[in-house]
Amino acid sequence: MQIRAVANSLTFRYIVKYVTVLSATVFLLQAVFYVYFSYTSFKELGDSVVEELETLQLVYRGQALAGVEQYIADQRSSPSVNRFYYLVTDKSGTKVTGDLPVAPRYREFDDGWLGFEMALQNWGESVDVDFLARPMDLGDGYKAMVARDYADIVERAELVFRTLVRVMIATLILGITGGFFSASRALKQVEQLNKEISRIVRAGPGQRLQVGGDKGYIGALATVMNQMLEQMEALMQGVRRVSDNIAHDLRTPLTRMRNNLSQLRDRPDRVAGGQLDQIIEECDELLSSFNALLRISALESGNRLSGGHDVELGALLRDVVELYEPLAHERDIALVLDAPQPQLCKGEADLLFQMFTNILDNAIKYTPPRGHIRVQLRTNASGVGHSVLIDDSGPGIPLGERKNVFRRFYRVESSRGEHPGHGLGLSLVQAIAQYHYGTVELASNHPGLQVWVHLP
Amino acid sequence: MNVLLVEDDKQVGDFIVAELRAAGHSCVHALDGEAGQQAAVGATYDVMVIDRMMPRMDGLELIKFLRKSGNHTPVLVLSALGDVDDRVQGLHWGADDYLVKPFAMVELLARLEVLHRRVSLPGTDAPTKLVVEDLSMDLLRQYVQRRDTPINLQPREYKLLEYLMRYAGQVVTRAMLLEHVWGYHFDPQTNVIDVHVSRLRQKIDKDFEQPLLATVRGAGYRLGPELVD
Repeated sequence: MQIRAVANSLTFRYIVKYVTVLSATVFLLQAVFYVYFSYTSFKELGDSVVEELETLQLVYRGQALAGVEQYIADQRSSPSVNRFYYLVTDKSGTKVTGDLPVAPRYREFDDGWLGFEMALQNWGESVDVDFLARPMDLGDGYKAMVARDYADIVERAELVFRTLVRVMIATLILGITGGFFSASRALKQVEQLNKEISRIVRAGPGQRLQVGGDKGYIGALATVMNQMLEQMEALMQGVRRVSDNIAHDLRTPLTRMRNNLSQLRDRPDRVAGGQLDQIIEECDELLSSFNALLRISALESGNRLSGGHDVELGALLRDVVELYEPLAHERDIALVLDAPQPQLCKGEADLLFQMFTNILDNAIKYTPPRGHIRVQLRTNASGVGHSVLIDDSGPGIPLGERKNVFRRFYRVESSRGEHPGHGLGLSLVQAIAQYHYGTVELASNHPGLQVWVHLP
Repeated sequence: MNVLLVEDDKQVGDFIVAELRAAGHSCVHALDGEAGQQAAVGATYDVMVIDRMMPRMDGLELIKFLRKSGNHTPVLVLSALGDVDDRVQGLHWGADDYLVKPFAMVELLARLEVLHRRVSLPGTDAPTKLVVEDLSMDLLRQYVQRRDTPINLQPREYKLLEYLMRYAGQVVTRAMLLEHVWGYHFDPQTNVIDVHVSRLRQKIDKDFEQPLLATVRGAGYRLGPELVD
């Protein structure tokens, strides 16, 4: 399966869109969570600082400055990692006690909050740490400031943020991979359907779709399409049956008429003998049309060739060319056969002979005097199957008409009246080729017509 | 010619009987397979015309029975089915010729006469020489001459003339020529056969007063002295 085909498929593109929207939503939720987390963390920090200040004030009120000094000393010696830092100054702003420098460079926040950066010794290394601080009057001109570093909060926030980003990337990757696989699965089904439909186009409307064991939407689609094919086939059969019945029913009275006419002609008084001959000839033409029509129907509606005999195409074509050589000679047309190697083909010799004579008959009919016709038996490059090419120097068939000429009773407008024929010759050619699992193609011979018959 | 017709369609059968009698032949008409079987066993005929699809006994069954019981009267099968398979099957079971309905009466008559002629030729051994008036064909040396003039023929022209000479004096249809001279059973869109015949005519009739190869309108050809009405 081609990656490009999958990437371009509707399912994949849909899933990519879906995953993108999903990721954006997840991201938004995560951002809200992150903001909430940071906010509550800082609020807790702030609250703890305010609480500590209040404790200091209580201590000051109870035990005066000495108590505060004692309290701060106690706190400093406690093993807690995230501890508070203190500064107590007197009226003149001189440091009385505490472990913060007198005037670090503050950044002022709202509501009397201050922020500053200070180097701390951590495992013997000097690390710059951000602090959040709040000053407070203790009374008697003494001022206290409690600070707390928030590196841990930042760290945790960063951890949360990284986790969120990873979750999002994972969502995207998993979503798109999943999308790729489900798209390729859907595409496989569509491709199978495509193959099945192509098979039906080749083999004719009698075939049905076989989409193996799929109960999903492709299976449902196949069922509907099979119903459609059934209707189509029924309609086609109906139309065909009507024309067959007409041909069949008219054939018998026509034959009787022909027999009566020939009796009439053989009577001794010979009334209007010439006219009778003409009527008999026209009867024969009608009969041959009906016969051709019924033969085409029999070939198309019945089973295709099963088994068949070995037919040597080279010899068969020699016979065809030999049969038509005098006619070509009479019309001053050069008829050449090129069949260097014998080629065996499974088939019915009579039908194949009929097919090639029909093609050659047309070629002779449409090629002007001093023209040429070549019949070539070619070996296919692949070594499988046989190709027969019959080309002429006649007027050819316009591109737009090439499909139509295989239709029953269809005749190229310009040849109507000019050339005799019932418009069934090429229909029969196609029916015979298809009966042998082969195809017929028309191409331009620049100028003229090329008729290709491909047989398996 | 004494003909047994086994045909269940009364209308078609009556018509064939009338036509055969008008052409100077005698004819017995059996209306189904079993009646045909009794008639075939009870008397001898020159040729038999047997319909393919019949009640009680199928045409092919009847032919199988006749051949098994040692009856080798030539049989022409009539059939509404024109399939290749049908034709091959019919000939396989011992029919000598096959005609698809509906058919032109001239075609049936011509074929019956040829079938009759084939068995009634004097000396069933293969002849070595064919003679029609002053035209003669030496089958061993493949040599043709008219009076004392040798006639040079292409292989297919030779086969064509041979067939016409074997059934000299009889009407031979185009379809019969295609089947027996060319060996293919098919419907030509144009009368290609006519061109071959006129070539042959050029060679055998051109320098002679009496034409031997005549076209029978609406039927085919006849080799032999000109018939005077």
